[in-house]
Amino acid sequence: MTEFAHAAEPPTTRTRRRGRLGVIVIFAFGVVGAVTVMAICGSLIAPDDPHAQNLAVSLAKPSHAHWLGTDSLGRDIFSRIIAGARTAFLGPLVIAAGSMVAGNALGLFAGYRGGRVDSFIMRWVDLMWAVPSLVVIIVVAGAVGGGYWLAVLLLLVLTIPFDTRVVRGAVLEQTPRPYVEAAKTIGVADARIMWKHIWPNVAPVAIANSFLVFAGALVTLSGLSFLGLGAPPGTPDWGLMLAEGQTLLFANPVATLAPGAMIVITAVSMNLIGDWTYEQLAGRGAER
Amino acid sequence: MSSRAAKVAVREAATTVLTVDQLHIDRLRSNRQAQTIVSSFSLSVAAGETVAIVGESGSGKSMTARAITGLLPPALVAKGEVSYGGRNLLSLKEREWRRIRGREIGLVLQDPFTMLNPVMRCGRILEESTLERGLSRKARRTAAIARLSEVGIHDPSVVERYPFELSGGMRQRVAIAAALARDPTVLIADEPSTALDVTTQREILSLIKSIQIARNMALILITHDLRVAFGMCDRIYVLYAGSLVETAPSAALESEPLHPYSHGLLLSEPPADYRMRELLTIPGAVPSPDEVADSCSFAPRCRWAAAACVQAKPPLEQVVPERLSACVRLHDIRGEMAAVRDRATGEVHAAVAISDEPSLIRVENIHKVFRRGNRRVVALEDVSIVIRPNESVGLVGESGSGKTTLARMLVGLEAATSGEIIIDGVSASNWADLTQKQKRRLRDSVQIVFQDPYSSLNPTLSIGATLNEAITTRDPRARNVSARAAELLDAVGLPAAYARRKPAALSGGERQRIAIARALAANPRILICDEPVSALDMSVQAQVLNLLSTLKRTHGLGLLFITHDLAIVRQMTDRLYVIYRGRIVESGTTAAVLDSPTDPYTIKLMASIPRADVGWLESTRTIGTGLPQVSAHSARSTSR
Repeated sequence: MTEFAHAAEPPTTRTRRRGRLGVIVIFAFGVVGAVTVMAICGSLIAPDDPHAQNLAVSLAKPSHAHWLGTDSLGRDIFSRIIAGARTAFLGPLVIAAGSMVAGNALGLFAGYRGGRVDSFIMRWVDLMWAVPSLVVIIVVAGAVGGGYWLAVLLLLVLTIPFDTRVVRGAVLEQTPRPYVEAAKTIGVADARIMWKHIWPNVAPVAIANSFLVFAGALVTLSGLSFLGLGAPPGTPDWGLMLAEGQTLLFANPVATLAPGAMIVITAVSMNLIGDWTYEQLAGRGAER
Repeated sequence: MSSRAAKVAVREAATTVLTVDQLHIDRLRSNRQAQTIVSSFSLSVAAGETVAIVGESGSGKSMTARAITGLLPPALVAKGEVSYGGRNLLSLKEREWRRIRGREIGLVLQDPFTMLNPVMRCGRILEESTLERGLSRKARRTAAIARLSEVGIHDPSVVERYPFELSGGMRQRVAIAAALARDPTVLIADEPSTALDVTTQREILSLIKSIQIARNMALILITHDLRVAFGMCDRIYVLYAGSLVETAPSAALESEPLHPYSHGLLLSEPPADYRMRELLTIPGAVPSPDEVADSCSFAPRCRWAAAACVQAKPPLEQVVPERLSACVRLHDIRGEMAAVRDRATGEVHAAVAISDEPSLIRVENIHKVFRRGNRRVVALEDVSIVIRPNESVGLVGESGSGKTTLARMLVGLEAATSGEIIIDGVSASNWADLTQKQKRRLRDSVQIVFQDPYSSLNPTLSIGATLNEAITTRDPRARNVSARAAELLDAVGLPAAYARRKPAALSGGERQRIAIARALAANPRILICDEPVSALDMSVQAQVLNLLSTLKRTHGLGLLFITHDLAIVRQMTDRLYVIYRGRIVESGTTAAVLDSPTDPYTIKLMASIPRADVGWLESTRTIGTGLPQVSAHSARSTSR
């Protein structure tokens, strides 16, 4: 098999950018891996209780006892960052997975069926895009009373049109291809054509897109927490920590900069992994 | 260069304008060693002379043309010598190239659809290539119109049009005008007519030829089609897997090829004027140059290969004056090759018994109109055809004639606007109205093989999965699915182990076999073949055609063979419909129609088939004096 694969290699093999795991990608995987562990284990691995207040040591500078110092209530920043990984990870994960499932289904349906189904779904998408999402969240959260999971749900609904549009575009490119027509002429059912034939060919785009959605959701959710529309006060949450440390920026800069840095590093890592995954998956069509 | 070859060179030196000596092209790769694209290529061309570089895809012919014009892609590096005007062009810098390209060496590329900048008007494209600064707008425009009239476009409004408003033939003319705008002494034409219809192909080739004669230019024509080379060129260089295997004057090569590859290539091209008993094929596919680096490049596919062939790369040596061949066994096999040719060209009288069985497919007065916004495009107009079981029927027409639309209607991919299609007793004008049971019956009667094997297989599914799906879709309760898949693979001449591979591991010919196997899974009674070999190399084309003939015999399969190639129709079909702009213009038994065509379009089509005698190009060579409007096709809107 291997021998044949070599023999059949056409003389003008396109240079593939697959398989090279650069330093940056390894770093990105390291960051995401660490955040995942922190999200799962949370306070179990934190050196201190993230909720324990100790006013005696409030606004302490980084020291041996408190690696990143403490906040105004004397809570250990390092422990709160570890515990805060949970809200930073879970919400974006739900949003990325949920919008991938719903967006792919709608995108496949719209792109493959075309006609009225397509215009109906896409007009809905246009409508959702026209709505200023932050305003909607602020209004709804203000009316209903806010909360982390409400923010996640609203963001999920507002992200689905984005995924739908991306997937539909990729599906439109695949649908007129002869392999799809060939499947039609041998009588393969439409649902199977969409799922078994078209989806694997748009998967690289869909999956890579989900990583971007994850990164975007992380930033947006942190922003909502910062504005007080996400995680309830007192929760260890990166966005909330930013807001809390804001006024005390000069007293203990680390208390504000550390959660900010975590948001940036995690989001960038997710984007990098998304790019890398796309390159991996896009090469699959050339697989032997 | 051997001493004898050197002598030839000296004799030609007086008029030779461009020589290529020991050209070697590598693709540099970051992790692996360099990959050879062209291992050794030498050529010389004199003023007023036409030479052809003939080769299949992967032979390196296009990269050779790019190397000569300094347009190699960044990862490719050329070594050797390309001398022009006493300089080695390969050592030039990009700045210096700009003075050579266009002014000294012009280039015409294959695809007229992408070669012209789509956002520039044709006049602007021509002005850019003349590059004379300081002319007034009016003077530039007059110059552009003069250029266009030189290539047979006498409608001055073309300078104001965008490329997409022109037909393929017109665009190729504009591209030629741009390439010739600065009077180059050498013109390189890389497959200039391959993307065009056969009638347009002849117009374009004769245009190039007449301009070449008028200007005494040297012309290097790159083509995969030996017949085109015979019709156009004085000498032919046969390139195979990156190395030259034979060079000879056209007439000599046509009468006696002196290398097994040219011999095989010549025989695998079906003749248009008689039917062969069986097409001769070259087994296998073109190897990469590195695989055959130290042996004769053709040895893996050569029936005469012996130990001597794989010990070292055979040098290109002179056999008779002006003829070089790279075959070490030439003296042993020359007689044998001649005998094979004699046998193969023995005409076979095709006894066609037109069956009077009831028809399996009956198409009656079909109309098909596509609507694009306010535009109505008539794809088919009052078309009626009949196909009986076990019959092979040809449908011949050029691109945009509606032949593919008809095929798509027969398998339910389009619905007819009006008229009736009856397949196996089921009315199939609009598949949306049919029950599942009726659809299944239709699919068991008619299956289709698409034109492009590179996109008709799902790249993410293994061959086995593709075939299994076809089997279980037809019969969900099928048992022994993989055994049946192996059977199908065997029917198309592939080993069962191919089931584990992905399409990317297969060559074009192998993929087309898989596409045929997939269609056979439904046990159809009629197989529609929509240009099944037009995307394949000449030597592989014959393999697929022979497979279809065999299946016709063994499986009692009827064929609807859709093609633009009259030679293939002659070999494959008993009856024939000629379709032109959505109408059937002529029909009858294949031999009768092709031997004595009556419709003007069929006559024109027959005259357009490339052939060696001068008449092929002569008959259209009225271009210099003023061509009757070129664009019979230009105003036509295509059906897609």
